[in-house]
Amino acid sequence: MRKSIVFCVLLPLTCISLSCTSYLREAKFYYVQAQEFSRSYKTETAIGSYKKSLEEAEKEVAKRPSSQAFMLKGLSELHLNLWEDAEQSFLAAFSFGFDKGQEWAEWVSLFGLASAMQEMGLARAAFQIYSYLVDKSRLRPVTIFAAQKYADMALQSALYEEGKQRERLLSGLLKEIEKLTNRDLSCGFHHYLQAQVLSHMGDYRRCFEECVMARELGLPTQEIFRDNDLQIVFCYQRLEEELPPEDWEEFRTLCLKWVKRWNWPDPETPDWKKR
Amino acid sequence: MTKKSFKKIVQEGIRFISQFFPQSRYLYFPLLSAALVWAIERSEEWQEEILSWEVWLDPGFVQVKSDEFVLRFFSGHPDLSEVFAGEIRNKDIPVLRKFFHSLYPIVGLEDPFLSGLFRQELLSKDYRGIVRQYEKKVAQAISDIESVDDRGRFLEGLEAIAREMASFGADTITQASVQKALADIIKKELGKNGN
Repeated sequence: MRKSIVFCVLLPLTCISLSCTSYLREAKFYYVQAQEFSRSYKTETAIGSYKKSLEEAEKEVAKRPSSQAFMLKGLSELHLNLWEDAEQSFLAAFSFGFDKGQEWAEWVSLFGLASAMQEMGLARAAFQIYSYLVDKSRLRPVTIFAAQKYADMALQSALYEEGKQRERLLSGLLKEIEKLTNRDLSCGFHHYLQAQVLSHMGDYRRCFEECVMARELGLPTQEIFRDNDLQIVFCYQRLEEELPPEDWEEFRTLCLKWVKRWNWPDPETPDWKKR
Repeated sequence: MTKKSFKKIVQEGIRFISQFFPQSRYLYFPLLSAALVWAIERSEEWQEEILSWEVWLDPGFVQVKSDEFVLRFFSGHPDLSEVFAGEIRNKDIPVLRKFFHSLYPIVGLEDPFLSGLFRQELLSKDYRGIVRQYEKKVAQAISDIESVDDRGRFLEGLEAIAREMASFGADTITQASVQKALADIIKKELGKNGN
């Protein structure tokens, strides 16, 4: 008798709970699907899925507002270039607070908010958040996203300067990225970032090596992968111009080994370019 | 690959897409072209990786390149070096940097969707046109794709087209050759319908 009372009370509660979480689950499903499409350059289907994720998140927000529901809504809005809506969603997510065990969602919301702020012209505030996340976050996805934004903005600042001041800023940035690499050596993306900074510094030999490391360790999206390949080509072309003949021959021999391994038709044509 | 079979698939693809985008004919090419690129590249099955419930934002590529990289991007490309000869000669980096923002993803990274979207401009080498229209045209395309009501069926349909194209075999289809055939068929189909 007692069991059946408990059952009668618990079953509707469970059903209510499940129905409430289903929109959130759907929103996550479509969001992850969209990311998968986006990583392999299936842009149009990615946009369709982000839109679907947004619809599901909006239903969840209407039915049972929560920090994660607003976070999902904000993430989808970011991908659809709805910056102001995204900012509002992330602020709403923070107003609900994050439970224990949801630290990852808090980090995601924080850098989501920073991204929206950056797009709305609040670059300085966004840079502070990226800098904080690069330093404090121990979650790889958060760190790599924040590090890319941080590096991009720091490189932009360096471009405004000239001579010694530019060199100083670039050296400082390189040290920051190296810290990340030392903390997580197997992360290809950190090597990619290092290569990008080294390219600005004109150190093409080291830049080439970091690009190779990045390629071998793996990169998160097809777009970054291709950008890394084009950096390899650029280093090859610059070194051909800069190195003395013996050094060039030595480098070229090394480079050709990698080119063969990657099935490139030649050192200046990545395999995806040959079509 | 027989031309007839390929033509039939493309015609079916056009009919399918036109149900979703009756007014946006300019999307036929990028959508079918993207399906074709997936087929050629034989992308790994995304479904297997989907059920990971912690969600993140993916990083983008580093957009701020060195002056030398930007300059070489323009001077090292046969068409770009001709169209932007003046800016290259004057080493007008701020202006080239502005153009780089829209041209690098298309000409450098060969983004399939953007390449499809700006196919006409690429064919006519109207690179300044790409720069001029980039933001507006991309925003419009995103907006049009958003208006799809039945996304589930749409995504499944597009995947089915990709799978059918993949059945031809990667050794017999290449992006460049089939894209041309694709463009011809789409053009004929649109002409047939009085467009």
